[in-house]
This record gives sequence, structure tokens and C-alpha cells, in this order.
Amino acid sequence: MLEVKGFSAGYQGNDVVHDVAFHVAPGEAVMIIGSNGAGKTTLFRAMCGLLSPSSGRVLFDGDDITGMPAERIARLGLRFVSAERHLFPRMTVQENLLLGAYPHRPDPETMSVVLDLFPRLAERRRQHAGTMSGGEQQMLAVGRALMSKLRLLVLDEPSTGLAPLLAQAAYEALGVLRKRGLTVLVAEQQVPLAMAFSDRGYVLENGFIRLQGTTEELAANPGIRRAYLGVT
Amino acid sequence: MTANILDGIVLGLQFGLLAAGLTLVYGLGGVLNLAYGQMAVVAAITVSLAMDAGLPVVPAVGVGLLVGGLFGLLLDVTLLRPVYRRRGEARVLLSLLLTLGVSFVVDGFLIWRYPLKALTLHIGGGAVELLGVPMRRGSLVASAITLVTFAGLFVFFRYTSLGRAVRSVIEDEEGARLVGIDPKRMLRLILVLSGVLAGLVAVTRSMVSPVDVQSGLSITVFALIVTVVGGLGSVAGALLAGIILGIVNVVAADLIGSYISLIILLGAAAVTILIRPAGLLGVKE
Amino acid sequence: MSDRLTGGTGTSLIGGTEARSSRSLPVLLIPIAAVGAALALVPLWLGDSRVLMSVAVLGLAFACYTIGFNLIFGSTGQLFLCVGALAGIGGYGAAILADTVGLPIVVSILVATLAATFTGGLLSFVAVRRSLGVIFTGIVTLIFSLSFEALVLGLSNLTGGDTGRLIDAGADTFLRDRTQAYYLMLALVLIFLLVHGLLRRSHIGWAFRALRDDEVAAELAGVDVARYRVYAALVGAAMLGLAGSTYAFTEGRMSPTTFGFGEVDVVVLVMLAFGGIGALFGPVLGAVVFTVLDEVLLEFGQLRVVVYGVLIIALFLWMPRGVIPTVASLWGRVRGLEGSGAAKSPDSAAGNLEAVSGESQSAE
Repeated sequence: MLEVKGFSAGYQGNDVVHDVAFHVAPGEAVMIIGSNGAGKTTLFRAMCGLLSPSSGRVLFDGDDITGMPAERIARLGLRFVSAERHLFPRMTVQENLLLGAYPHRPDPETMSVVLDLFPRLAERRRQHAGTMSGGEQQMLAVGRALMSKLRLLVLDEPSTGLAPLLAQAAYEALGVLRKRGLTVLVAEQQVPLAMAFSDRGYVLENGFIRLQGTTEELAANPGIRRAYLGVT
Repeated sequence: MTANILDGIVLGLQFGLLAAGLTLVYGLGGVLNLAYGQMAVVAAITVSLAMDAGLPVVPAVGVGLLVGGLFGLLLDVTLLRPVYRRRGEARVLLSLLLTLGVSFVVDGFLIWRYPLKALTLHIGGGAVELLGVPMRRGSLVASAITLVTFAGLFVFFRYTSLGRAVRSVIEDEEGARLVGIDPKRMLRLILVLSGVLAGLVAVTRSMVSPVDVQSGLSITVFALIVTVVGGLGSVAGALLAGIILGIVNVVAADLIGSYISLIILLGAAAVTILIRPAGLLGVKE
Repeated sequence: MSDRLTGGTGTSLIGGTEARSSRSLPVLLIPIAAVGAALALVPLWLGDSRVLMSVAVLGLAFACYTIGFNLIFGSTGQLFLCVGALAGIGGYGAAILADTVGLPIVVSILVATLAATFTGGLLSFVAVRRSLGVIFTGIVTLIFSLSFEALVLGLSNLTGGDTGRLIDAGADTFLRDRTQAYYLMLALVLIFLLVHGLLRRSHIGWAFRALRDDEVAAELAGVDVARYRVYAALVGAAMLGLAGSTYAFTEGRMSPTTFGFGEVDVVVLVMLAFGGIGALFGPVLGAVVFTVLDEVLLEFGQLRVVVYGVLIIALFLWMPRGVIPTVASLWGRVRGLEGSGAAKSPDSAAGNLEAVSGESQSAE
């Protein structure tokens, strides 16, 4: 579904991400793990149209979306939930969700599916998004993405700012979505969480993909175990 | 005193609608349109010319509003690339300078070509009593139109998906992009809307007192004052600030003098910037 | 980035570049003297026409105003849209002191200049204290400008209101002689240039450059941004007040339009933008060009304003750093030197106008 080749991106001429290549097949859950500053955010921002890549290709279901502006990519069914979430603070939960469906008419069925998945959001329908807690905001951000004709959900560090229990709950919700057939690409610093969720993964270090494989393969890798799983 | 307050509300409603156009464009696109007053004047002069050419009032006003909207469109098409390429303060600064240039071009041309032109719309009929004060029909019609327009704006932003989309860009531009909303297109829409609103204010103002070719700068200044006090990006703020400042303006002008009342209004804007830059109802950055 | 047009000779002429390459006074004095000599020839050419000489004197007044604005905006990025008002404090202040209060002319000018200086410093202090960005500083100073105009119109017994007032003091002196007035204003221009040039070479100038290029870094390096901003505003406002009051006495009359926002601030902005924001001789170039342009276009009446509008748009779209820095970087590029036209040019004003000068930034 998603194919990235030879991808490099950065700021003001300096590349942060170098020659990255990976792919995501329909129905898969793929993770990109790495520590702070590895370049995960830059990679995703450039991939999803918020930043211009310096080289490389991004193919979404065969269509070349390299360098397309974010709003166009979002309409193609690739929804990016960034670490900051970018909710609309003075608009209600309801309004935020309705906007997720833009430009299509919001589907009442999809809305009720989302609210079933996140009952907390249903309770706070009329509350302003800016007044909600971190966990609720994360749910809302995902919920908003779900309102669209979503084909690929891309998440940048969904555990950001969430207490461990909440982060776990977030991933559980993502797991439910996965079972319903959603394709997910997630960048994550908290490796155990990502591993529990994903089928395959890539390791990003200093802007380069150093390692790739199935979750089992990566979990068994001694280097990974030392660096990211705290195993000595 | 009641008369002053009512007059102040009439003026204030117009201040508010005027500021609404300016504040939307700033809140959404980070663009400070210093040619705003000229948008209003161009619309007014167009209506005047159309009526000279024989058109009845209503179609003439329609033409004027259309021209106002076109002015907005023109600004968008020309400002679009260079201004949009910048962000934040650089964007505001560049838009300020470019629109200043535009205001000169328009002012210079209009004053040269139609030096004495002004728009006045006479609303016939005697005075109507409101709370014991005889009000001119023109004032009442103007206020009614303004109120209806505000109601329309309210419904638009609250209950339509396009209105929501516009608000979302004001709230969080990147978030809006991530749900597929194109901020540039929204800005274009809002610029056209602001042109129409400017024209509408000019037309309703002319029901109360003449709008002439030279008023461009003062219209922009008043719009800016009310926008600053109301809060950049808030239509409700514009309305609230407009009414307050309208009343202050009329009362002060009556009690003290017109120059002092202008200083008071200017002072109110300055104090707002110094004490609460977000304005009455603006977003606290 | 460090090695700009080194080699001294061209440095101060082109202006705006790092002056640390040569500390010797002659390098500063020579170009100023050259400009002075060139401008001194003007009365020989125009001396007979009273009208044209008045225009020339006004042109020099604007050069003074623009140098002051250059110091405030170009050096420390404070968008003071109250140039006219500060000059007006000088002008109206001195006139009232001399005529109504009866102080000697020189004292009146001094006191009025001090008043302007204080006001400028106060505005800067407030802006700095409240951390007003460029835009809000601009709006606040614009408000001050408009309030000053309204005040002038309102206090009509003192100021003559709409019609303005005459100044009796100094009526029989050399001040009213066009040619002598010209040389007086020219002296001011040269003095201001010298002061600006010296400031740039001093540690104060170094601080200005630092805070303009990167305010946060400057703070961390120990530069008290607030203090230097206020310094710049004080000196700049002093120049404005002095120029305004001196000019007023040479003219013998003033009205709200003499120091109005539309008549002064906008013109000064265009002159500086044209000449080169931050460039030492930018104001002089801008003032000369636009004074001449205005005269040439006089017959077109209001259409002149259209031309200015188009010029403003063209300037800020294509040459936002102004003529002198743009020419300087082109020349540097022609000579194959490093760093010319590089992104972070100290010639432009505070970071924002740098960003305005063609830096396209991708999202974030």
C-alpha cells in the first residue's frame, strides 16, 4: 500500500533522514523505531506532505505522492496523526470529529463506530477539545482520522505525553482497529509498546534505516535488546 | 444620553462588521490587509457610479458588493504566492507592506479620477421612535442589515461544514491540512468574504452619513482598532469590541470632543495590546 | 559567513557590511565627506529657484528622518511607525517653546529634541517590557502617530489646528534663507551619518548586529537586548526631534501634514526600503531619489501616489533589502567573493525582514 524509496529529507538544505526505504502492505501494522532525534518525525512529516523531501519517492497504492501537499495526501486516505495531534482546541469533540470527514459528508455510522470505540469521547461530545486530557486528546486525534475514508493510518509517537497505562490503552485501541482490517504505520520511541502491536518494523538511527525485520526477529536481535529493551 | 448610546450601538454594529472582515483574514491567514478601507471605498464608489448610470439601488448595491468581493479575489491571486511562502511575523509584515502599496495604488487612482465622489443612500420616511429617541430610518435599516449579516455569519460558521472548515484553519492550520482542508483555498474564500463585508459596511454606512473617496485610511484605522480590541481572529470579539467602542466614540465625542474621542479609541487599542494582546475574545497564544 | 567584502575600500561606501574590517576613521569619513561635497553642489545648480530649494531642503530633512528611522528599525528591528510624530514633537515643541513661551531658538530646539528623545526611548522601553513583536510595536507606534495627529488637531490654540501655525521666532535670521537652511540641514545629515557610522563601529554597533541576527543567541551571549533597543530608539528619536525642530525653523510654518503619518512615515519607509535597510548611506540614496521623483511627478497630481504604491509593491517583492545591499551582493558575486548574497545578511533589518527578503521556508 505504501512504498518509500531512497527517501531523504531535512531542513534548510541539511538532510536529517537519508536514503530511507520501507514499505507497508495492506492490513499490516508496521513500526519505525528509534530514539529521540533519530529522524522519525522528519521522515513522517516529509512523507505526509508537511515538509518537502530532498530526494526519493513515496508511492501510495501505486500513485506517486512524493512532495504532494499535506491536504491532498490527506484526501487520498492517508491520515497522519502527528505527535502534537493538532486538534482544534476551541471546537467541540463533535466538531473535531465532523471535520475529520472533510470534504465528504460525515457518515453517522462511522461516527457511532468511533464513539463506540472511544466511549470517553461520546461522554465529552460537547466539550472543547483543548480542555481534554492527553489521553482523551490522543483518542480524539485517532477518532478524527477514522472519520475519513481511511486507508492508511500513520501515527507519530502516539504514546507522547501519556502515562504508561494510557499509552497502553491507546495501543489496545489501535489493536482493535487492526483486527478490523486497518493498515497502520507507527513511529515510536517506546519500543515495547510498538513491538506488542506491530507485525514488522524498521530501526531508524541517525536518519538511516539500520535494521529491519519481523517483530520476532527484531526482538531477538541482541543489539536491539541492549539499546531499546534495556536488556544487558 | 440614551440617544448617544443608541447612536453608539448603530455605529458600533458597523464597526463590528467592519472589523469582522479584517479579523477573519488575519486570524485565518496571518495576513494584515491594510487595503481594507480601500475595499470598502471601491465598493461604495462602484455603487455610486452604478446608480449614476441609472441602476436602481438594490442592483447597484449588488454590483458594489460583487466588486468588493472581486477586490478580495484579486488580492488573493496576487498576494498568494509571495506572502504564503513566509510564516508568522514575516508573513504579517510582508502582507502589511504589500497591501499598503495596494492601498496607495487604489487611493491614488480613485482620488485622481473621482475626486469628489461620495456615496449616500437616502432611506426615505420619517424618524422612528425607539426607547423614546427619534432614530433616523437610515440608521435603523443599516443596523438591521448589519444584525442580519452577523446572524448569517454566525449560522455559517457554526452550522455549515464549510464554516467549520474555515474555523478549523483559524484554530490550527496544520491540523486543518491534516484533515484535508486547503488553507489557501479557505483564505481565498475569506478574502472574498471580507471584500463583500467591507462593501456592505460602506453601503450601510452611507445610509447614515456619506462615504467618500478619501475615507479609505480612516476606515482601515477604525477596523484595525476594533480588531485589536476584539481579538485577532474572533468575529464575536469584533462585534463586542465594535459595540463598546462605538458607544465610547459617540459618548466621548459628545461630551468631550471628536479629536479626544479618537484618541480614546486609539488609546483603548494601545492599552489592549499592552495589557492583553489577545484582545477581548481572541486566542491566547 | 564571516568574510564579507573584505579589503576595506568598498566597505563603508556600500554600507551595511561588517565594518570591523577597518577601524580607521578615514574610511568612514571619506565617503561621508564625498556625499557631503556632492550634495553641497546642489544650491549652485538650483540656488535661484526658491521653490526648488525648498524642495531640496525638505529632501534633506527627509534624509535626516530616514537616518533616524534606519537607526531604530535597521539596527534593532523596532518598527517605529511614528517617525513623523517624533519629528513633530521636535517641530511643534520647538515652535511653541520659541513663540509662545519665548525661549531662545537654540534652547527651544534642545528642549524639544529632548522631549522627542524621551518619547522615543519610552516607546521602546514599553515595547521591550511587554515583549511586543514587530507587528504590535508597529501598531502601537502607529497608534501613537495617529494620536499625536489628533492631539495637534485638537489643541488648536497652541498648534493652529488644521491650518497650522507660523513660527515667528527666527523670522529674520539666516534660518529662513533657503540656501543657508540647505547647508544647515546638510550639516545635520552629515553629522547623523557620522554618528550612525561611529555607532556601528563601536561595541554598541556590534550588539545591534548581534541582536538583529539572532535575538536569542545575543541574549545568551550576554547582550542586554532590551537596553540596546532603547539606546537605538533614544539616539534615533533624538535625530528625529532635532531634524524636525530645525526644519520647522527653516520653513517658518507647519501644519499637521508636515509631520503626519501618511506624509512622513510612509515616505521614510519607502526611502529606506529603497536605499537599503541597515545600509549607512541607504537613507541618503532613498531621500535623493524620491525627492527628485516626487518633483518630476508633481504634475501628475494624485497619480503620483499610484506610482509610489506600485514602487512599494515592487520593492518589497523583488528587492526588499534595498538598492545598496542588493548592488553590494551582486557586485560581490561578480567579484567571486564568498558570502555575498548569503542568506543571513546583516544588511536587512531584524530577522523578520530578512525572512521577507526572499527566504522561502518550507512548512516549519
